[in-house]
Formats: sequence, structure tokens, C-alpha cells
Amino acid sequence: MLEKNPLSPHLQIYRWHISSLLSITHRIVGVANIIAVTLICVWTICLLFGEENYESINFFFQSFFGKLLIVSLSWSFSFHILNEIRHLIWDLGYGFDLKISKITGVITIIGSLVSTILIYSFGKSLI
Amino acid sequence: MHHSTRKWIVIKCSSVILIPLMIWFIVNLVSIYDKNYNELVNFFSKTSSKVLYTMFLIAAFSFFSLTISEVFEDYINNEKIKNVATKILYVFAIVVPLITILSIFRLN
Repeated sequence: MLEKNPLSPHLQIYRWHISSLLSITHRIVGVANIIAVTLICVWTICLLFGEENYESINFFFQSFFGKLLIVSLSWSFSFHILNEIRHLIWDLGYGFDLKISKITGVITIIGSLVSTILIYSFGKSLI
Repeated sequence: MHHSTRKWIVIKCSSVILIPLMIWFIVNLVSIYDKNYNELVNFFSKTSSKVLYTMFLIAAFSFFSLTISEVFEDYINNEKIKNVATKILYVFAIVVPLITILSIFRLN
């Protein structure tokens, strides 16, 4: 019986809507975030190996690509947080109306971009 | 309670816990990522950083392993491959944060 469980349909059979776009992006961003958090774990563990061994990592983070990585991570975290809040609101039974769902979807996209700027600006002013 | 219902409740609880910890983590990561070795060690040596980072790792790996196992459920048809992939995922979600947390607590 379990062997015959239907799988989710392949992505290309859907007509694109903001809800499907956000749903697929949420899954991709979730996987990207856990890969990023795993790399951050490795980065943290590298601190144990001393200052000299840390030089090359520090060099990368001070480069353009290091900054780009952190800005991208700020966006992926922002998007994931906002879309997760949207899911939690659905779980409470609100926001299922098609029009409301589209509006919250647009808010999530625009909000994630605004949050990225706010997180980066606030983070940089902390230390 | 059905195991799927229990899993759904755990996912939702971990997501509620994870949201504020994600905000704390990303703001602090932006503030420290390009700092020198000594500043990083100072940051991770603070008790508040150790505790919050530990909580973040536990919540993040719990949440992501449970939700990625849902992706396996949706897209892997073969039961054996799905079970092996899920078990590897769960072992990974325990080992990686555990080693990281132990490393953080060894930093002075």
C-alpha cells in the first residue's frame, strides 16, 4: 500500500502563480539555508584551529564574494522567516482567501528585500 | 496521536522557536563575519552568544531535518531509498550541531 502512495506532481505541470512560486522558493531556500548553516558550523569549528589557520577564511569574508554571500544569506533568512510567519498564520486558520493569499505573497517578497537591507544595516552598526 | 500529527506539531513548535533565533543569528552574523580572529573568539566566548547559538543550532537542525524529510516524502518513491535518506539526514542533524556546540564551549 505504501509503495503505491502518489508523489507530488512535477513542477512543470503547474501554471505559475505567486502561491506556487513562493511554495517552491520556500523549499529551495530552506535547503539552501541548512547548507549555509552547516558551512557556518564548519566556520565556527575552524576557530579552534587557531589564528594562523583562520587567515584564509578571513580573507574570503573580506572579499566581494564574502560580502555577497552574507547579503544573500540575509535575504534567504528574511524570506524564510516571513514565509514561515505566513504559513503559521494559515495554520491558525487565517489568510486562505485567494486575494489575501496573493497580497501576503507580495508582502513576503517585498518584505524580504526590505528586511535584507534592514538586517545588513543594523548588523553592521552593532559592533 | 498519529505520528504524522505529532511530527506536524513538532515542526510548527520548532518554527515558532526558530524565528526569533534566526533574527538574532543573522543580525549577529552580519556584524561579525568580517572581523578578525580575536574579535570572533571574543564574540563566541560570551555566555549569551554560546547559549543563543546552541539554541539556534538545535532549533534549526530539528526544523530543517523534519521539513527536508517531508520533501523526501513528497519526491522519493522508493521506500528503501527514502528511509535511508531520512536516517542519514537525522544522523547529520544530530552530529553537525553536536560537534559545533562542543567546539564553541571549548573556545576561550
